Amino acid sequence: MARKWGIAVDLDRCTGCGACVTACHAENNIPTVGAAEAARGRAMHWIRIERYWEGEFPDVRVKFRPVMCAHCDAAPCEPVCPTYASHHTADGLNAQVYNRCIGTRYCANACPTNVRFFNFFNPAWDKPFHLQFNPDVSVRSVGIMEKCTFCVQRIKAADSAAKADGRELKDGDVQPACAQSCPAKALVFGDLQDPESEVSRLSKSPRGRPLLDLGLLPKVTYLSRQTDV
Amino acid sequence: MTAAAPRINQDLLRPLLETSWRFYALVLCLGALVAVGVGAWFYQVYYGFGVTGIRWPIYWAFYITNFVFWIGISHAGTLISAILRLVNAGWRRPVTRCAEAITVFALMIGALFPMIHLGRPWLFFWLIPYPSERQIWPNPRSPLVWDFFAIATYLTGSLLFLLLPMIPDFALVRDKTTGWRKKTYGMLALGWQGTPKQWHRLESAMQIMAIAIIPVAVSVHTIVSFDFSMAPVPGWHSTIFGPYFVAGAIFSGIAALIIAMAALRRFLHLEEYLHPVHFQNLGKLLLLMSLLWAYFVFNDRLMIWYGNEPAEMAVFWVTQRGSFAPLHWAMIVCNFVIPLLFLTHKRVRTITGCVIASVAVCIGMWLERFLIVVPALGHKYLPYSWGSYSPQPVEILVTISTVAAMILLYVLFAKFVPIISIWELKVGEQSRLPTPEAMREHPLWQANP
Amino acid sequence: MDRRSFVKLTAITGAGAALASCGSPENQLIRFVPDDDLVPGVATWKPSVCPSCAAGCGVQVRVMETDAEVVRNGQRGVIKMRVAKKLEGRPEHPISQGGLCPRGQAAIQITYHPDRIQHPLKRVGKRGEGRFEEITWDEAIAELLVRLDALDAASAQDALVFLTRPGRGVRHRLVAQFLERFGAPPQVPFELFSDDVLRRANALSFGREQLPTFDLARARYAISFGADFLGTWNSPVANSAAYGRMRHGQPGIRGRFVQVEARMSQTGANADEWVPARPGTEGALALGLAHVIVAAGLRRPEDAGRPGSLIAGWAAGLPAYTPEHVEQVTGVPARLIERLAREFAELGPAVAMIGGAPLAHSNGLFNALAVNALNSLAGSVEKPGGMFFMPQIGDAIFRDAERPDRQAPRSIDRLAADVLAAGESPVEVLLLDQANPVFASPRAWKVGEAFDKIPFIASFGSFLDETSILSDLILPDHSFLESWVEGLPESGAAAAVASVAPPAMRPLHQTRAMPDVLLEVGRRLRRPLSPPFPWQTFEEALQESYGTLPEGEDGDVWSAIQMRGGWWGGLPRREAEVMREGRSHPPVDFVEPQFDGDAGVFPFHFLTYSSQAFLDGSLAHLPWLQELPDPLSSAMWSSWVEINPKTAQALGIAQGDVLDICSRHGSVRAAALVSPGLAPDVVAMPAGQGHRTFTRFASGRGANPIEILGPMAVAGTDALAWAATRVRLARVSGPDGGLILFAGEMREHPHEDHGR
Repeated sequence: MARKWGIAVDLDRCTGCGACVTACHAENNIPTVGAAEAARGRAMHWIRIERYWEGEFPDVRVKFRPVMCAHCDAAPCEPVCPTYASHHTADGLNAQVYNRCIGTRYCANACPTNVRFFNFFNPAWDKPFHLQFNPDVSVRSVGIMEKCTFCVQRIKAADSAAKADGRELKDGDVQPACAQSCPAKALVFGDLQDPESEVSRLSKSPRGRPLLDLGLLPKVTYLSRQTDV
Repeated sequence: MTAAAPRINQDLLRPLLETSWRFYALVLCLGALVAVGVGAWFYQVYYGFGVTGIRWPIYWAFYITNFVFWIGISHAGTLISAILRLVNAGWRRPVTRCAEAITVFALMIGALFPMIHLGRPWLFFWLIPYPSERQIWPNPRSPLVWDFFAIATYLTGSLLFLLLPMIPDFALVRDKTTGWRKKTYGMLALGWQGTPKQWHRLESAMQIMAIAIIPVAVSVHTIVSFDFSMAPVPGWHSTIFGPYFVAGAIFSGIAALIIAMAALRRFLHLEEYLHPVHFQNLGKLLLLMSLLWAYFVFNDRLMIWYGNEPAEMAVFWVTQRGSFAPLHWAMIVCNFVIPLLFLTHKRVRTITGCVIASVAVCIGMWLERFLIVVPALGHKYLPYSWGSYSPQPVEILVTISTVAAMILLYVLFAKFVPIISIWELKVGEQSRLPTPEAMREHPLWQANP
Repeated sequence: MDRRSFVKLTAITGAGAALASCGSPENQLIRFVPDDDLVPGVATWKPSVCPSCAAGCGVQVRVMETDAEVVRNGQRGVIKMRVAKKLEGRPEHPISQGGLCPRGQAAIQITYHPDRIQHPLKRVGKRGEGRFEEITWDEAIAELLVRLDALDAASAQDALVFLTRPGRGVRHRLVAQFLERFGAPPQVPFELFSDDVLRRANALSFGREQLPTFDLARARYAISFGADFLGTWNSPVANSAAYGRMRHGQPGIRGRFVQVEARMSQTGANADEWVPARPGTEGALALGLAHVIVAAGLRRPEDAGRPGSLIAGWAAGLPAYTPEHVEQVTGVPARLIERLAREFAELGPAVAMIGGAPLAHSNGLFNALAVNALNSLAGSVEKPGGMFFMPQIGDAIFRDAERPDRQAPRSIDRLAADVLAAGESPVEVLLLDQANPVFASPRAWKVGEAFDKIPFIASFGSFLDETSILSDLILPDHSFLESWVEGLPESGAAAAVASVAPPAMRPLHQTRAMPDVLLEVGRRLRRPLSPPFPWQTFEEALQESYGTLPEGEDGDVWSAIQMRGGWWGGLPRREAEVMREGRSHPPVDFVEPQFDGDAGVFPFHFLTYSSQAFLDGSLAHLPWLQELPDPLSSAMWSSWVEINPKTAQALGIAQGDVLDICSRHGSVRAAALVSPGLAPDVVAMPAGQGHRTFTRFASGRGANPIEILGPMAVAGTDALAWAATRVRLARVSGPDGGLILFAGEMREHPHEDHGR
């Protein structure tokens, strides 16, 4: 049976530490754009921790919310790409085919959660930072859109390993870098088609809801902080 | 043929046959500006798209604004030529070719922008449906691919619409000149001899084109509007965008036409052919379009404000009261207040008045495109990801140079093709039934009482 | 044929093959023969220990082969070697439990940093100019030996000072023993945010000079007084793992926590309730809670045992700490005090934590003792869901752990003062290891000036920073991935934990492990160390100590340790630490905190804090951390000062405006960040930026708040009261582009808020 990868984000566990952000950079060869370009709005955080203040001193509160591509089953970024660079796979992933992207940036505009990032320049790494590259992930060049892939390279690697061992993938075999690194275990990744998986269980929680109510069928469910419920 | 015909020939062929130093100077200046723009674009391609002001999350700005703006301008020709042909409005005759030329050139320039704004422009041809070895075609669900087809169709149609009635005039030039001109125009005239059969074919073709081009034109800008309305962006996802954009296109097109005609009248001394009445009529049309535009804008805004949906209201407020307010209210003044002031009453609806209103409208419509694109992208659903845009020199230079390119193309066109359709004018003169007084006043009458 | 000739031959033929193929000779690097068997594309996982903070999280390193440019035998070439690709928390490690904070993730950039010192350096030019020449290891060690032998010859062994980051393991002890055997004083520990005050309080209250561990996973209620335990304080990864379980680890049970602090921290942002208390009054609040608990009959004063007796008036039920009076002192409403107290006492298991700024006021020791008493009162000490002390393996394996310190280590400010006071510096040789006091200490301490007087400074660090740039000699250490690493966490887990791991990869550059260098120096001193070290390498030293741990089923404990990346488990009862009697101390009472700077002239409390990205600045050189948006401000590559919106409005300050922040000891400039998370009379500025010298990514960036701190000590300790400074603000100009925010908007419904 085809799988449907998804993530459950427990906002009651998330501490806003940013480990997921850095882990994603490390895993996916994301360029560090530098201060000047960051000031111009070109930083590329495939996963980001949104932070919202509520109230005024002293009755002030903060909400943290990790936002990454939700690989929507009705993704608005897919029909608008003229070259099929953004398309849906059988596993339920929204795949970004770097080689096919010509950089119209329509997908990024269509995405309501702004999870898509553009390579404004050819990324450069001061040597020997390039030794740290993950060889399982392409390094992108100028003019190409990129975004969270649910660490598709880890999914593929886990599939290969399972196949070589002659077994099925179990829940928890695949961990994208963000979920793997989270100290509070706020991010849970897995197969939503598997009713026994942790992510399925969490996604059905009464605390769970999508980030936006636009009918996009996102695969990321947010579990509200209990004090909000 | 009346005795006025030689006079018409002389006046309208003069630009082709006589060239002053001013022409060369103008072409040089415009050419320089165009070269600067091309250089700027190559700079962008070489150093990377980051030299523009585009940023997360505002991924479209100046270039797309220009794209929509120029495609909008291109609607002038259609309306004037096709619709006026169909309703047989006599005053269209000196105006049609000016308008059709605007259409073709504006389309060509507008069609450049999807290439200019690509991140990897050397792969633009993947937008063209051709059988590739990877057996992959462009995505037919993408409005950008619809753009490709729509603009290609419209450009083809407009070119035909422009070139067909040029044939008799090419033949005229062929007959009136010698040397390289005779050869070139001879080729372009496609062997036109002016036989009744040829005239009949031409008229039928024009009629068919006039009918066919109108839905194409309407669909083109509707499809361009789909670039926005198909995306779930607050402020874009509006059902009104199709007619709104078409109305805005015709609006800006007429404004551009008025400016072009006024310039031609002045610099090519076509006072006898482009009369105040033409500007009066176009001015009335401009006013009508201004009111129509205002109606659409009001509709759009009222729905948003009444619906009070938070994401849309964020875009609404930032446009009306926030950082975009100065541009927004400038747009309202340019598109609505100034046209009302200068076009309502016959007294102010002079050529000068029309030109002032038209310049304001062109500026205002450019602002309108900008204000559709940028505030919405900068204020989508998640406020943490809001951003603000400021243009960089590359974008400004490219924008200016495309205006220069438009003017340059137009100037060159007027140099090589009679800018007023000679044969149509003559036909018009013949078929017009003037009042006796008007007849006696008119120079053609005096030339041939 | 020996190996060297083989390598040369292969190199030459490699070069020949390259020439024969294509490309010009200058562009072709010699290809060396790989040192290991490599299977391309297949990753192996090796254990290591994260060096970013003292928590000692066990990591696993993904190692794959790649082509790396290296220098072998003075020849630059390319070699296929296994290199680290990614760090992850080791799932079975009791501290990290599979997780890793952003600083841990970014630590891999230390190894690959382009500005890393790649070989020994000797100063040319004036001290502090930063001009060095490359020398060989032989030359470097010889140079160091010359200096040490000279000290020995002049019977001036006590003129040797070794400055380092505080530690507890074999590496630390090796240095200590080297110094002792040489005749030098113990190493000078330096760390700005070191929580020594809490250790001292724990020694007094519980007889354990150690940071506490919190069993949050089983806590139903927690109150944190200023402790950023989810962000930067005291084993944040372990705390976060426990926090996650506290919230939703047990079905139907959700633990609550309350954060008391003057400036909302990242941890405070997650609290169910955030309580701003006046700076320096947190201890009084804790006692206010205790008063209510006793007054309501929920506990008896004697339940708090010894920690309670350290508080004046405890036995009488703390009559001075009525909610009304505590409200006067702290600004926290009396009703809230009563409710919090009842919740704390009734929603058990409950635990109180104290860390960060409350420990860094003049009354920090009092604050800590008060919280210790509160915990004891609630019965949360060494109980599930409460606080306890992690068994220390060091106590078990270091047989001479019982011997009293021969001499208390001198603090850095005392050292600087001594050097400056004397005509000729009493310190002749200064060795630097993992410490940057010139950056991370107040200017008032004049550490830089003091160091300038020291005739010879040698650094083992991998980077040029404000302190190491003063060196005359640099003997660069390996990065943690290239050397034997060790961590003996003093908190973070229930079991005893020692993290020990072999190198995950071979060295990229011509660096050497500091302990190995010390051992070699020890062997080659003119007058040998007595007794001499029995080990040739650090590895042997580690094995000797950790090899004595009880074996598991694995058999050979040392092999098991290398495979797992450490040892953890229950220690035999004999070695496990029991609560000892605390040292005697007169009962303490609340004293108004003293501040550096008169409130009339300096109207604002200046709260610097350990930043999520850089801590005290030691990680500012890592670009991933510079570009990581700060949790509360979303700032990247920036310095900023947080001010309350009303204060901003009153002073005519808008977001991004450049401000001058002046204390009695200097001023710094930073961009204003309007933040509702602090009181109108408090401003806060993160530590970590403002380096003058620290690689291309941090040099000349931002401002350093540590510079302007007042040199006040926490009463009863040597620790710096870094939260006790007062400042005044002045607007200098509009935004200068220095404040780079990732976020566009700070509120989710900005237009609705406008309406209010």
